[in-house]
Amino acid sequence: MGPGDMTSDATVEWEKVLGIFSDEAEGLVASMEENLIALEVAPADSLLQAILRGAHTLKGAAGSLGFQAVTDYTHGVEDLLQALIDRRVAVDEERVSLLLGAVDHLRDLSRASLAGVDSLGAVHLAHLARLKQGAGLHPATEAVAAPAPASLPRIPESPGGKRGRSRMDLERLDRIVTLTAELSVARGRMTQFLTRAEDSGASWDDALSLQREMDPLFEELQEEVMKVRMVPVGPLFRQHLRTVRDLARSQHKQALLELEGEDATLDTAVLDALRDPLLHLLRNALDHGIESPDERRAAGKDPRGHLRLRAFHDAGSVVVELSDDGRGIQRERVRERAREKGLVAAPERLRDDELLRLIFEPGFSTAATVTELSGRGVGMDVVRRDIEALRGSVSIQSQEGRGTTLTLRLPLTLAVIQGFAMGVGDQVYVVPIEGVQECMEVPSEERTSEASGVLSLRGQPLPYLRLRQVFDLGGGTPARENVVVLKHPDGMVGLAVDELQGEGQRVIRPLGKLFQGIPGISGSTILGDGRVGLLLDTPSLVRRAIHRACEHPEAFHSPQDLLPPTDAPRAPSRPSPLPE
Amino acid sequence: MNHPIEPGSGNRSSYLSFMLAGEEYAVGLLRVREIIEYRPVTRVPGMPVAVQGVINLRGSVVPVVDLAVKFGLSPRPITRWSCFVIVEVALDGQQTVLGLLCDTVREVLELGPDDIEPPPAFGTRVRLEFLRGMGRHGDAFILLLDLDRVLSLEELLRLTTAADEAPASVLAPAPSASQPESPGHG
Repeated sequence: MGPGDMTSDATVEWEKVLGIFSDEAEGLVASMEENLIALEVAPADSLLQAILRGAHTLKGAAGSLGFQAVTDYTHGVEDLLQALIDRRVAVDEERVSLLLGAVDHLRDLSRASLAGVDSLGAVHLAHLARLKQGAGLHPATEAVAAPAPASLPRIPESPGGKRGRSRMDLERLDRIVTLTAELSVARGRMTQFLTRAEDSGASWDDALSLQREMDPLFEELQEEVMKVRMVPVGPLFRQHLRTVRDLARSQHKQALLELEGEDATLDTAVLDALRDPLLHLLRNALDHGIESPDERRAAGKDPRGHLRLRAFHDAGSVVVELSDDGRGIQRERVRERAREKGLVAAPERLRDDELLRLIFEPGFSTAATVTELSGRGVGMDVVRRDIEALRGSVSIQSQEGRGTTLTLRLPLTLAVIQGFAMGVGDQVYVVPIEGVQECMEVPSEERTSEASGVLSLRGQPLPYLRLRQVFDLGGGTPARENVVVLKHPDGMVGLAVDELQGEGQRVIRPLGKLFQGIPGISGSTILGDGRVGLLLDTPSLVRRAIHRACEHPEAFHSPQDLLPPTDAPRAPSRPSPLPE
Repeated sequence: MNHPIEPGSGNRSSYLSFMLAGEEYAVGLLRVREIIEYRPVTRVPGMPVAVQGVINLRGSVVPVVDLAVKFGLSPRPITRWSCFVIVEVALDGQQTVLGLLCDTVREVLELGPDDIEPPPAFGTRVRLEFLRGMGRHGDAFILLLDLDRVLSLEELLRLTTAADEAPASVLAPAPSASQPESPGHG
């Protein structure tokens, strides 16, 4: 990064222009793609017109920047589209595939132009020839064809979604500005009050009531600011229209993806983290769920499989549901697999929901049932891990022969949590409140300085970690010690701390680059007294403890066992299971 | 602007000097964002001792580093002169704000090229590669720190202190970049 690197205003301007083109091109290409898929399902002139408009706008934008490759290529695409509109040729699967391929090329070419490469490769030229061929089946009518598209006026139409969003953002910004102004007025009054308080003999109650006037304003402002991070799931969902089409074709299946609740919003960060798990679930549904057209016909179903992706808000979370009308989970195969892998002692005794949950177990490789085409080697355990890392959950429902529904429940945002704070010495740690089951005082016989131990919780053994030792904070054993009982996938675990500080809303911010991959810590939050508290990643703390206990059963009680040894470099492993 | 001194250029540059365990150090003033008084540090477990933890700087979470510990000295008690010099460095290409724990801040001084001597081949407490030079100030020398080298991601995550490596660096002043423990990501 060169701060010394001088950039002129012109360069900055040009960068801006390129940025606008980049956004516009991505948007246009994406909407062309969507419309093409819709066209294949139900041909309509309006769709063709929309695709042509998209192509034309892209050509205009590329042309104005002098990107010859994109301009020339789009010209070829327009020829085929025009032929389709004029009904010189018919919309069929082959032509849609041809156009989808062209859309891919346009995406690549736009990116290449931005990177400074402005030429058509052999692949592009070959595809361009095929486009011409696709359009020119009747050379006689082609001669009659309308004016060269280049001479058409640029149609100033851009995809509606984008404009709509920026207008919404503006309204939100206005509201934020208003709230800020109101807050600053309230703050001014407070300052005035405080400077005069001594002379006027005002009471604490007066001060408090003034403060309480400010609170709702502030809360509203916070809420509005948080909403700025919220984006609709629509664009992510719509990307998969193409994924499903292409994947199904590659497996000689037919499948149609329906979308519902595209307007449901969630935090940008959650949305990004949802990307991989969702793709994985879709692949799974196509690989294992949807049957071949023949099989489906034999079962009395529509030869075309139906997938439905649905999003909705529910009680402070967002739910993303993927259902298919495929063959469903075959219980007998799950039992077989579980027996083979030794996942459970007696799979036949499991309840149905317990049996279905087995597919999320690490080691329940679906390799045996994977089609010859997939061979991914990643199981549903990865999906569960990814979703849990977002503080979400996955559940499954399935009827044999009827289909499967996977339900992902995710927090609306990673930026704010309802947290439970606890103190060790002068340090404060926070865990999400959902995990906290109860708190109890550590009985005197368990008051040790060991890094871990076992308590009895209503007759059940409760393993716990003593944070003071685990984090090597030093200091003596406190007068009182409490255990916070947390829910953990494998049962309850306890964290022994000095004091319990109670729950409250916490704004979570990531620790910077320097602290990436720190075991047991997943973020930070500013506390009421202005200090910084750390957000605990309990699953990783527990995993570490279990790992250490397995490796060195006798040496487990040393604090160093729970953290990387200080004489070795820190492992650059990131807790985030979602690599970019 | 990231290089306060360009060898050979006739310009004088400003430096901020501060004390660390009885010795005076300085950094280019342009790299200093502000000086704030000491405040309690939240310790981040699993980090090298030189990285003390994080503080709240007007709502931002800022890592703080004790350079004296990095240079192999033991931690000193916090006094009422203890403070954090807030600087900006590029960690892995990303501009990052860091706090340096100082025993006390001394002064802002101007040094020209003639006032700066190359560091001697040995004898300084700090590894040679961490120094831009020795600033002559009256009769004393001030160690001019090369922030980009001292505060690189590799150096900050390095678990050994400079003192442990001192003998090695006398024999062969190996550049830090060749150390095998540079984190793999980023």
